Amino acid sequence: MEPKREGISVAALHHQQPAFRGLDAGHMACPGCGQALGARLVTEAIGPDAIIANATGCLEVFTSMWPRSSWRVPWIHSLFENAPAVASGIEAALKAQGRQTKVVVMGGDGGTFDIGLQSLSGMLERNHNVLYVCFDNEAYMNTGVQRSSSTPHAAMTTTSPRGETRMGKRHLKKDLLAIIGAHRIPYAATATVAYPSDLRAKVRRGIEIEGAAFLLVHSPCPLGWGHDGADSIEVARLAVQTGFFPIVEMERGVVAGVMKIREVRPVADYLRLQDRFQHLFEDSREAREELQHLQELADHNIEVYGLRADEPHPRDSEGADTVRRGGMRWS
Amino acid sequence: MTTMTRGGFASAASSLEFNTGGWRLARPEHRGRHAPCETSCPAGENPRAYLGAAADGDLRAAWEKLVEANPLPAITGRVCHHPCETGCNRGQYDEPIAIHSIERFLGDRAIEAGWDYPVGAPGGDAPAAAIVGAGPAGLSAAYHLLKRGIKPVLFDAQPAAGGLLRSALPPYRLPRTILDREIERVIAAGIDFRPDKRIGRDISIEELRADYRAVFLAPGAERPRRWSADGAEPARMRYGLDLLKSWTSVGDLPVKGKIAIVGGGNTAIDLARVLKFAGATEVHVITFQALPGAAAVPDAMSAVAREIRQAVEEGVIIHDHRGIRRLIMRGEKLEAVEMVHMREMDDSGRGRRLVAFEGTETILKADEVIPAIGQEVNSAGFESVIGRGPFFHADRFGRLADHAGIFAGGDACGAAGTVSGAIGDGRRAARAIEAYLRGTAPPEQAVIEPIAYRHLNLSYFDHAPRAAAPILSASERSAGNEIESSISQAGVHAEAERCFSCGECMACDNCWTLCPDNSVLKLAGAPPGRDRYVFDYEHCKGCGICAHECPAGFIMMIDEN
Repeated sequence: MEPKREGISVAALHHQQPAFRGLDAGHMACPGCGQALGARLVTEAIGPDAIIANATGCLEVFTSMWPRSSWRVPWIHSLFENAPAVASGIEAALKAQGRQTKVVVMGGDGGTFDIGLQSLSGMLERNHNVLYVCFDNEAYMNTGVQRSSSTPHAAMTTTSPRGETRMGKRHLKKDLLAIIGAHRIPYAATATVAYPSDLRAKVRRGIEIEGAAFLLVHSPCPLGWGHDGADSIEVARLAVQTGFFPIVEMERGVVAGVMKIREVRPVADYLRLQDRFQHLFEDSREAREELQHLQELADHNIEVYGLRADEPHPRDSEGADTVRRGGMRWS
Repeated sequence: MTTMTRGGFASAASSLEFNTGGWRLARPEHRGRHAPCETSCPAGENPRAYLGAAADGDLRAAWEKLVEANPLPAITGRVCHHPCETGCNRGQYDEPIAIHSIERFLGDRAIEAGWDYPVGAPGGDAPAAAIVGAGPAGLSAAYHLLKRGIKPVLFDAQPAAGGLLRSALPPYRLPRTILDREIERVIAAGIDFRPDKRIGRDISIEELRADYRAVFLAPGAERPRRWSADGAEPARMRYGLDLLKSWTSVGDLPVKGKIAIVGGGNTAIDLARVLKFAGATEVHVITFQALPGAAAVPDAMSAVAREIRQAVEEGVIIHDHRGIRRLIMRGEKLEAVEMVHMREMDDSGRGRRLVAFEGTETILKADEVIPAIGQEVNSAGFESVIGRGPFFHADRFGRLADHAGIFAGGDACGAAGTVSGAIGDGRRAARAIEAYLRGTAPPEQAVIEPIAYRHLNLSYFDHAPRAAAPILSASERSAGNEIESSISQAGVHAEAERCFSCGECMACDNCWTLCPDNSVLKLAGAPPGRDRYVFDYEHCKGCGICAHECPAGFIMMIDEN
C-alpha cells in the first residue's frame, strides 16, 4: 500500500503543480493515450494565456464530456474541417483588439492530413500568427481505426486489413511536412511524446515566432496500434530511433535541424511491439518483402534528412532523454 | 444579455470530478528495491544512499549515511576488494561506479573536517559489553554497540588498536596517518579502549564473563597455518604473515635471491610486493587458485584483484593453478622447488579436494620458500570457548553455541578474511548482543535479491566514463608511498551522478512528466527522492507508463483484479 501522506489533499495538489497544466485529469482518453500526454505537454509549454481551437477527433471528444471540461484555457470546437479557419478568425480579432493572447489549433491526423487540409493551407498562406499542432496517431481512432492518409504503408486498420492480396495499407504515408514546407511558413517541425523536452522547446519556438507555425507530434495510440498502454513511450521512442518517424525542424520550408540517431535500430524492433504490423512477421514472401519495404523507407528517411549521428551529442536520440537526479532535465 | 443554449458551453467545472481511477486494473506503487551494491557489501553499506546525498552536494550527509554501517570508510576505501563495484549494474552498461573512490573521499573529508560520528554517549546506567580484539571486527562491534546505547569496553593485546590493519597492511596500500587518525576518531566517539590486555595473560575469559553480560571475541587469526611439502620442512622456515608483521614494525627486511611464496591470498601478494620493493631478485607466487579475470572466476585467488594486477606490473611472477610437490635441498640449503599443476576439484558432492596432475612437474630455482597459506586463531586463553578449533564456530548472528552471551566474528571465525566482512560481523554481533541484553531473539536478516539490470529503463542514461583514481606507475612505486590517490571532489560528484539509483527514486520527474492522466503529482518543497511524488488513484487509469519509464525500477504495477 502507498503510505498515506498526512494532510495532503490530492485534489488540491492538481492545481499546485510547478508547471501550468492546461489539461486536467478526468478526461476520457484510453489508458496510455499518447495524444492526451501530448496535449498536456503542449499546454504546459504554451502557458495559461492562450485560446485553443480544436478540430473534431479523439482529443475533442475525450476532453469535453458534458457538462464538464478538461480544459483550463478557453477552448472551442466547431467542425472537423474548419479549426484553422476558426483560429484565423480568433487571431484576427485579437490582433484588432491589440491583445497578445496566443492562438493554437489542435487536431488529429484525420483533421489535418485529410479533412482540414484546405483550411490549414489557407491559414498558412495568410500567415496567421497561430501555432497548429497535429497529434499524429496515424488513423481515424475516434471512429474505429480507419485508415487516414497518415497511416504508414502496410499498417493494418479496419479499412486496410491484411487480406488476400494486400498486406495492410497499400499506399504510403503522406509527406505532410513537405506540403507544409511548401507554404514557406516561418517554422515547421516534427516532435514526439517520447522526447518531451524537445517537444516543449519546439512549442515555445512556434509560439515565440511571429507568423504561422506547424508542429507534427507523433502520438502512439495503444488501442489503434495494438500495443500495451505501458509501452506508449517505448513505441514512440523506437519510431525515432529506427528512423521511421524523423524528428526535424524547418525554417521557411528548408530543413534547419534534425534529431540525430546515435544508435540506429532495425524497424522490426518498432513494428514488433504493435499488432497493426504483426502480419509482417508471418512466414511468407509478401510479409518479408513488406517488412523490408518499411526498413527501406526508414533508411530513406535517415538518408534524406541526414539522421545518422557522427558522434554522441546531448540532443541526439540517446542524449535527448537522459535524466538527471532531481529532475534537472526539465528545469 | 446573451442566453447561451445548453449545448453552447460547459459548466465552469473541471473533469476532475470524473473518477477515471475506476477503470484501473493495476495500480502503480512506489516499491523500493535493494541495489546490488548494497546486497553485495559485506559491511552492510548502502552505497546508493550515500551516492545520492553526494549527488545532491551534501558530502556530510553522504558520510553519515556511510558510517551508519561502516565506521572506517577511509580505511576500507583503500583496502577493501569492493564487491559493490563487481555487483554494480552500471558495470553491464559501461563501467561500474567508482564506489571505493567515493568511500575513501568521504572518509578522508570527515577526518579533515572533524565531522563527529552520529552516536551519542550511552547513559550512566547503560549496560556494558566487552570486546576482545581491536581490529576491524572489534572496532565495528564497539561502534555499533555505542550506536545502540551500549557501553563498549574494547580489549587488545597490542598497545594500539587496528589489529591486522596495523600489523600487516603495507603503507603503500594504507598510509599509517590515515589508519591512526580514523581509528583514533572512532575510539574517541565513546569507546573505552584498554590496550596491552592479552587474553590468557593479563585477563581471562572467565573474568570477562563475570564482569560483562556479553562478550564479543574478535582476536583475529594470528598463527600461520603449518605448511610442508610432502612432509619436508626446511630448517628455520619463515612464514608469510610473520615476515609481513616484522617488516611493518621494523620497516625493513633482510632479503636476497629468489623467493617462492606459497598461497593466493592478500598476505601472499602483499609479501611478494614488499619483498620485490626490498630488493629480491625474483619473487614467485605459487597458488592452486586462478588468476582473476574480467569475468567471475569460481576459483579465483582470494587476494584483491587490483593488488594482484599491480603486483604483476611490479614484476611479481604468479604461477596459478600450481602447487609445490617437493623441496629440492642441497644439505641445509634450498636449491629449487618442484611445482606441479594443481587444482581444487569437486569431490562428487563431498566438498572440494586438491588434485595434483602427474607428469606436469617443473623445477623452479629458489633460495627461500615462504608459506602464506592462511592463518588460524592462536587459541591460547580461548581454550574454554573455541572447542576443537582452529576457529570459533559462530552462527549467523555471531553467537557461540553452548556459550550464552559469547559472540565471535572477524578472521577468528575463519570466513573470507576480508576487512569489510569483519566490519559486517561486528555490526551483526552488535545487533545480536543488543537483543541478548534485552532478552529477545536476534532480528532475522532476510536474504535479499537485488534489482536486476533488466528492470532498469536504460533509455534514460547516457554513457559516461568512470572517474579513474590516479595510480603511480610501476617504476614510481615504493613500499612507503601510497600507490592509489584520491579522486577530486568534482570526480566524486560526477561519479555520484553516474549512479543508476537502482530500485530507488532519484526524482528525475519522468513519472510526473509522462503521465497522460496527470495522476502523478509533485509535492512542492519535498527533497529530491521518493517523497516528492504522490499517485492520484482517483484518476490514475493504470496504464503503466510511469512504471515502464521509471529509469530506476522504483515503480511497480500491482494487480487490482
